[in-house]
Amino acid sequence: MSIRRLLVVARKEFRHVTRDARLLFLVTVAPAFLLTTLSYVFALDVGRVDIAIQDLDRTPLSRDFVTSLNADEDFAVVAYVQRQEEIEPLLVRGAADLVLVIPHGFTDAALKGGPADLHCVIDGADSIAAGQTLGLLQIRVSDFVADLLGQRSIEAGVGIQVSDRAWYNETLKSLVSMVPGMLAVIMCMPALALTLALAREKETGSFEGLIATPVRGTEYLVGKLLAYVVGGGASFLLAWLVATLWFRVPFRGSLLVFFPLVLDYLFASMGLSLTIANFVRNQQTAMFLVLMVFFVPSFFIAGLIVPVTDEPIAGAFARVLPTTHFIAISRGVFLKGLGVGALAEQALALLVIGVAALAVSLVVFRKKVS
Amino acid sequence: MVRAWNLVRKELIQFRRDWLMTTFILTLPVLQLILLAQATGSRISDLCVAVLDSDRSYVSRRLVSALDNRRELDVCYFPETLADAHRLLDRGEATVLLIIPDGFAADLADDSVEPHVQIIADASNSVSGSIALNAAKGAVLEFASDHAAARGLAAIIPVELRTTVRFNPDLNARLFSMPAQVGFIVYQVTLTVAAVGLARERELGTLEQLMVMPLRRVELVVGKAIPALLVGALNFMCMLAVTVFAFGVPMRGSLLLLFALTLAFIVAEIGYGIFISAVARTQQQAILLVFVLAMVDMTFSGYMVRIKNLPIALQAIAQVVPFSHYLTIIRGVMLKGAGLDVLWPHAAAMLAIGLLVITIAVRSLSRSLD
Repeated sequence: MSIRRLLVVARKEFRHVTRDARLLFLVTVAPAFLLTTLSYVFALDVGRVDIAIQDLDRTPLSRDFVTSLNADEDFAVVAYVQRQEEIEPLLVRGAADLVLVIPHGFTDAALKGGPADLHCVIDGADSIAAGQTLGLLQIRVSDFVADLLGQRSIEAGVGIQVSDRAWYNETLKSLVSMVPGMLAVIMCMPALALTLALAREKETGSFEGLIATPVRGTEYLVGKLLAYVVGGGASFLLAWLVATLWFRVPFRGSLLVFFPLVLDYLFASMGLSLTIANFVRNQQTAMFLVLMVFFVPSFFIAGLIVPVTDEPIAGAFARVLPTTHFIAISRGVFLKGLGVGALAEQALALLVIGVAALAVSLVVFRKKVS
Repeated sequence: MVRAWNLVRKELIQFRRDWLMTTFILTLPVLQLILLAQATGSRISDLCVAVLDSDRSYVSRRLVSALDNRRELDVCYFPETLADAHRLLDRGEATVLLIIPDGFAADLADDSVEPHVQIIADASNSVSGSIALNAAKGAVLEFASDHAAARGLAAIIPVELRTTVRFNPDLNARLFSMPAQVGFIVYQVTLTVAAVGLARERELGTLEQLMVMPLRRVELVVGKAIPALLVGALNFMCMLAVTVFAFGVPMRGSLLLLFALTLAFIVAEIGYGIFISAVARTQQQAILLVFVLAMVDMTFSGYMVRIKNLPIALQAIAQVVPFSHYLTIIRGVMLKGAGLDVLWPHAAAMLAIGLLVITIAVRSLSRSLD
């Protein structure tokens, strides 16, 4: 292997990217741009619950209760229901998330010390939101009752003091946990570009021209890899600036630790891309494979939103996916301020994935016309 | 129209020749869906708990099993020291840490002091962090009120909240996420096929040949759109079958309506694809643009963040994303049995956007042909 020839390939690839202004934008600026847009959406996790009320009791107390629900941002009363049949259409249309029915005789029963029933009909389609809403409603009902009876709230009266803390993200803001995770997902883009660059040479026939040159297979592959790892590193720095300066996500670790790990991740994801690119003959197939094998799973199974699964097949797939390891690394360095020691496992996994993928590519790669 | 049909035949021959691509396009989406459904799971459960029990009493062990009994939690570590416990959180091996101080049992038996426990959650992933925190808190409070009840100190709760959960009584997360995943995969596939179609002809130089043929621009677009439509529709049917029969997601509304609106959705996405095709000079650009668009659409679709929680400006963006309307439609039809009487605004918006985008696409195509 000649370093000089390798660098020539890398330079050629660089020129290919920098010459094409749109491609340059897509490879370097687009990840930062995406991070900006996506994070804005995640910045707003205050979920307002729209409720409809069917008040069959019609007493000052029941009205007080409705007012107390409406008092802050959590709940908004959007409709009053008169008849039973109106409930279902409201939920089907999504005009209300839940309907609270205050039965006749509610006030009498409550003032006598209970049990007074409240009935709530909730749209359970979004199961996670519904679960949270029910918990919230339960608390509001307890608070109202506690106020009513002039007691301490039930929660405080039971006799164990619980101090609860959310570490690494004290206010449990989704923005803070999403930005480092998203950073990992959008850094798939340089890897996607690499797959396409390879497939492109096969498809447009410029690959045949390369065969006539003294460049060897290894030099060709490693040269391409090098060009896109460097490009990816640059686009990472841009995205990192957006995360820390614009969104002010705490960066508790050290960039000296993080940057090599980013390169490690780029190496692993590009290695996988190379392997995929080896098996396909045109860009369309390459694109399709990368999207299906790489990008969509990165969103759903790599631990971005729900934790990585224990299911044997899906779990194994998640562990082969470089994004899974890098999401852990990114959150670890950003939020937990971890050093290399605590992240050694993930770093090693990425290295193994990268080396294995590159080895497979080199074995499979043939510098010849099929 | 005959001329457009000839173009369709040419495209179909191309599909047949590139059998690898065709196999991928037809089988990968279904495999992908199965993998995602497996990984998403029906609910977030068995998050790992580490317990630092300095009390080591019968009572503290009962508290630990109260946590273990929660569906969301699974006690799996008993670290000896605080440093060990922190390391477990740092490495992400435990999601929540329960600290039971020495003397907990004695304090609980003594009415004059209030015993104290500490719960620390890893909120670097805010979703699993808040679920684990709430579950652990709930378990401790439940334990406390059970304990109080056993000693005859139970608080009377005068209001009882009875709940009816509509559409998804078990609060199964799959019912909510699978229709969205079907929609997303259909979206990906059609957009890719449509976006690459023309860009590929341009890059290989065959677009000029198409131009000199007696083929009008509309015919060219129709001829390119029909194969993408076929692929999208076929994929949709396979994935819907898997969703309903293998994963038991209900199909409460009209299948015919869902299919018709899915076709409308696919047409709108093909419009976007052809627009990308017309703007991009190479397939690489087209594909990276698809990638950017897919991530933005995904975010504004209401899959991860509810649209009505967004500020007005961002809600307006969500309105022009066909995927956000389609998500409301597919969830409405499948889970809520909604009909056109409820869904017509979304259907109309989707159609309008589709027509608009296709018009723009055809026009920009004619300008970019030279």
